[in-house]
Amino acid sequence: MRRDGLDRWADPPLLVLASLADEPRHGYAITQDIADTMGVRLSAGTLYAVISRLESRGLIEPLESDDRRRPYRLTAEGARELAEQSERMQQVASVAQRRLRANYGWAGA
Amino acid sequence: MSAPEPPRKSGEDFLVRAALSLYPPAWRARYGAEVRALLDDSGGGARAAASLAWHAVPALAWPPRHLHDGSGRMRSSLATTGIAWTLLAGLGAVFVQLTQAQGSSQGAALAQHPVIQWSYWAFDGCLALSVLAVALGGVWLWLQMLRTARRRREVAWLLSPVVVPAVFLVAAWAIARLARRVGPLVVPWQSRPVADLANGGVGPGWFLALVILGFAAAALSAAGPALALRGLRPEGPAVVLAARAAVLAAVTMGLACVASVVAAVGLYLWAPAYAGYHESWQLAVYLPAVLLVSAVAVVSAGRGIRTAKPPAAT
Repeated sequence: MRRDGLDRWADPPLLVLASLADEPRHGYAITQDIADTMGVRLSAGTLYAVISRLESRGLIEPLESDDRRRPYRLTAEGARELAEQSERMQQVASVAQRRLRANYGWAGA
Repeated sequence: MSAPEPPRKSGEDFLVRAALSLYPPAWRARYGAEVRALLDDSGGGARAAASLAWHAVPALAWPPRHLHDGSGRMRSSLATTGIAWTLLAGLGAVFVQLTQAQGSSQGAALAQHPVIQWSYWAFDGCLALSVLAVALGGVWLWLQMLRTARRRREVAWLLSPVVVPAVFLVAAWAIARLARRVGPLVVPWQSRPVADLANGGVGPGWFLALVILGFAAAALSAAGPALALRGLRPEGPAVVLAARAAVLAAVTMGLACVASVVAAVGLYLWAPAYAGYHESWQLAVYLPAVLLVSAVAVVSAGRGIRTAKPPAAT
């Protein structure tokens, strides 16, 4: 279904930060984790555009690797950013769920 | 961690390599192997290549700062802006030659249309401002490089913006004199002359030769400082000032050329008897060329100045 910009929670940078909050991962492992746990499939172009942006802002950092699959981990700054964004999303989600329950009889997923 | 996928077909591999080649070299050096490893694991395909190619555009326009040394990027942006600016100046010169001091008196009267007149004034004002920005913003850097230039080759690069245009002007003057003696040549695809020999202009064939020679001279003039920037690797406030001036110069030159496009279209519509731009193919060449080179100049200048700013706090 087309969401017309209503799926901002699925912003690729947030998804990547959330994936790396679990453990350090390389590119393919990040895409697999995001697809499995959040239901979003990131293309190689999108993923590496996001990785370069997050690395440039110091939110993630690369780890040493002997092969081409270089893992990344969340920095303290990245964890703080993810916590802030999650807090905001949480607030929006709680308000939305409370009102849906009150006005539309929504019982939750 | 990952299940091995069957190797990609050579066609897909070619597409991925082509898409990666669109990225800046620093980006490729940093992420190229990782992207290929990801595509080896996930299967890749034409869709992945298309996605990579699409994301190359922002990577080129706004390359991540952590991949470049700031001064190096500023220098390369300055060199690109300089070349694009010079080409725009060349296109502007062609516009001036084709639309001023030529044509019938009836055509000249029709060219008084307010849109055309305003476009001329905008063109003249922006051009003057742009040249001033280049002169004032670039002279400090130029002198700094001239002081540090040790080899004769480096000095020659730096002198090219002065020497080459001077040689071109002398050659153009000599060709014009020669052309007037020989008479007009016929260009096969041009049924009407673009110049009036009675008013002292040259024929279309000679004009074309002068234009080609002019663009060659412009390319040589711009290539010299670009090579000097690469060889001498200047740093410091002179480079920052030049990068800032380059933004002003590129934007004003772009505006001048947009004004020239408006004037050229105006002449085509309202003063077809006026010399120059009464052939639709001329507009079809001139318009895209101006827009493309303007975009390159402005984007390069923007990239250069972005490097001069301190990184935003995260």
